[in-house]
Amino acid sequence: MSWGGERLGSLVGRAWRGSARFRAGVAMSLLILALAAVGPLVAPHPSEGMGQVPPDAAERAGRPPSLEFPMGTDSLGRDVLSRVLMGARLALVQVGTVVALSLAVGLLVGVLAAYYRGLVEAALTYATEVFLALPAIVVALALRLALGQGFHTLVLSLILSWWPWYARASFVYARSVVEMDYVLLARLAGVPDRIILLRHVLRNVVQPVLVQAITDLGSVLLEASAINFLGLGLEPDAPDWGIIAQNGFKYVTSMPWISLFPGLFILLTALGFSLVGDALREGLDPRLRRRWRLWF
Amino acid sequence: MSLAGSTPNRSAVELVDVTAGYWTADGFALRRFHPVLKGVSVTVRRGERVAIVGESGSGKTTLLRVVLGVLQPASGRVVVMGREIYRLPRRLRWTVTSRIGYVPQDPARSLNPRLKVRDIVMEPLERSDLTEREKMERVRDALRMVQLHESVLDYYPAQLSGGMMQRVLIARAVVHEPELLLLDEPTSALDVSIQAQVINLLNSIQRKLGCTMVVVTHDLPVAQYLADRAVLLHRGAVVEDVPFEELVRSPKSELAKLLIRSFSLVTSSANGR
Amino acid sequence: MGYEEPEGVVWAVRSVSLEVEEGEAFCLAGESGCGKSTLGSAIAGILPPHAVTRGELRVGGRLVIDGGRRDFEGVRGRVVTYVPQNPGSSLSPYLTIGEQFYYVLKSTRGLRRGEALAEAREHLRRVELDPSAVLERYPHELSGGMQQRAAIALALSTGARILVADEPTSALDAHLRFQVVELLRRLRREGGLTLIFISHDLLLASALCERGAIMYAGRVVEVGSMRDLMGRPAHPYTRMLVDAIPRLGDRRPPKSYPGEPPRPGEERPGCPFRDRCPSPLSRCAVEEPPSIPLDGGRNVACWLYA
Repeated sequence: MSWGGERLGSLVGRAWRGSARFRAGVAMSLLILALAAVGPLVAPHPSEGMGQVPPDAAERAGRPPSLEFPMGTDSLGRDVLSRVLMGARLALVQVGTVVALSLAVGLLVGVLAAYYRGLVEAALTYATEVFLALPAIVVALALRLALGQGFHTLVLSLILSWWPWYARASFVYARSVVEMDYVLLARLAGVPDRIILLRHVLRNVVQPVLVQAITDLGSVLLEASAINFLGLGLEPDAPDWGIIAQNGFKYVTSMPWISLFPGLFILLTALGFSLVGDALREGLDPRLRRRWRLWF
Repeated sequence: MSLAGSTPNRSAVELVDVTAGYWTADGFALRRFHPVLKGVSVTVRRGERVAIVGESGSGKTTLLRVVLGVLQPASGRVVVMGREIYRLPRRLRWTVTSRIGYVPQDPARSLNPRLKVRDIVMEPLERSDLTEREKMERVRDALRMVQLHESVLDYYPAQLSGGMMQRVLIARAVVHEPELLLLDEPTSALDVSIQAQVINLLNSIQRKLGCTMVVVTHDLPVAQYLADRAVLLHRGAVVEDVPFEELVRSPKSELAKLLIRSFSLVTSSANGR
Repeated sequence: MGYEEPEGVVWAVRSVSLEVEEGEAFCLAGESGCGKSTLGSAIAGILPPHAVTRGELRVGGRLVIDGGRRDFEGVRGRVVTYVPQNPGSSLSPYLTIGEQFYYVLKSTRGLRRGEALAEAREHLRRVELDPSAVLERYPHELSGGMQQRAAIALALSTGARILVADEPTSALDAHLRFQVVELLRRLRREGGLTLIFISHDLLLASALCERGAIMYAGRVVEVGSMRDLMGRPAHPYTRMLVDAIPRLGDRRPPKSYPGEPPRPGEERPGCPFRDRCPSPLSRCAVEEPPSIPLDGGRNVACWLYA
């Protein structure tokens, strides 16, 4: 495989120079990151952003975009701009948590299965196969009933359905790494297993899987938004883009802006992350094909 | 630790009637054994320089793996530096293998691309009780022995040429002053001018450390430079086991005759034209 | 000749002037990175699209490279043919040997299936392969030696009179190497082939070829008869190569020189070999030596002979 040896820094450098898509993706992602960072500070009506209905709601409800409310107001009179701005941070937190934890679990499972083989490998791959079959939305439904709405439900349902993808990818890479002579040399020298796993196996498996994870950030966002849209994740007042879109769904013909703006931001964010990940992955190995996964 | 199976003699490696191979699935729940080494017996004495010569498929790589303790033979005895290595539980085999210096065949697969040369060469010293400073000293000594400049310490394998990678591997194999040096096709991937450098290098290292050296190769002339004795392997069996002069002067096996013909016919036809 | 890379053009071959006569067996020898493969690919007409060329190349009397233009129409395959190092690269893994002959012969000579197979049998017999055993097989079912012979047969079936063989023996075991060399010798005699034999193994090449060129860092440093090259090498690099050859029966250790061949793309003024040369002159660091003719049809690129 051709990933060996290239450090992440030089990979990023090459992608930046070589691919316009990468630069566009980085620009979009940075924009969203900036929004997440400063959004809550510059939002004109932060409390409405968080879901509170303003006192003069009746007058304000359902106004189209104007100078005072650049993105209009929703059916309850809340400023959509504020809600969207607060949503940026929430979106990134959700996506970041899910991907980070799924990656951690997946890496662990894949690497252990590849290194220890035998019973460990059989058990772990079986578990991976089982979880691979679970679509996130069904899991969310079950968890919603069991645990109620909230951040934990959303994050847990997504992690449970995403970790096996990383486990499988890690397993495949780790299997070839484990066959390498440098692992054999370390064993011969008496280096303890856990150090071999960290220094030799994990270090060489992380990079390609990490690039995959970055590409997935976009898909995770779409899936999270879908789950929230269906009311299976966060509470109905949370400033999540999926939820805002859901609020406006009933009025999509009369007040399209309520669903339009959060939808636009979801698209922008997902696209930005995907472009970054795609360009990185191409730099890594032009032969890797895209694993197309939207929301099931 | 019990001394069961230790033989207090002067052998570095002893294989007695070893049969080894691999299993494949055969039908539903059965497995079939494919022997690669068949009843092989070889003894290497301490300080000897021996070459295991064979072509692809002869079993030479399998033999190495048996000696290294990673491939348990189906039958036979394996004694490495006085210990019956397969009587030891797997997690304790390193007590024997840590006294071996192994240089694998393919440098691309033998160097962790994410580690610097410094860490690669230092790894065998981890289990010893040397201080950090002493370890660095040993690493520097090893680099000197393979004639590499200290500046390579901070390089990554991707920045090294083929010859340099090979030297790093050799440095790593000798940094802990092993008693036994095992090399798998040490020159096959190298340009001919570098091959000569590495041959001379290996001989000087072996002289300096006084270790036993076993070289596995298909290249008879190269083997001749690196060994005093030749063990010819063909389809998993030893067909000849004699000092080199004897092999060249009066080869007995068909394989030996064929190899000698192939390598010297070329020489003579080149000289004679 | 060179290749277009993101950082610029990497020149693999520099200002090379060579002539090979019809029916000759000519050897291109050198270590990795010297440019022999690029030169061989150019002659065979298989330079990749991102290659860059300057100068002129004539193959079989036809001008095929003229400055930046390359036109191998009618030459590639028909006049000159190619055998690569790894027979796996020239034999398609998805076709049986018989089918490969069929496709080649159909596209170059328009033969029908029956005719193609009959010819295939002829060619296979010429390389000492049993057609009935080989025609129905896939390449991976054959041993390395047989694969290489099949590749040679396939290459020659086009009727080309010039064969470029790029390290055809490097992937083979020792005793097979000499058999392939013997085969090529015989085919030459019988068919009047012109052979361009690319190899890093000087000894093997000298058993097959009459004349040869030693390449280093993209340049030709010495040209001459193989006997002269091996017996009284003129260029210091040639001497180094000859000294380094391990010879069976001779227990003296091979003479080794320090340093490594430069990688393609590393360029400095003067002679590229001066860092490793045991007898450099001050001129060597400044100016690149031209090709200087010596006795007996030899040429050396070295200031020592100026």
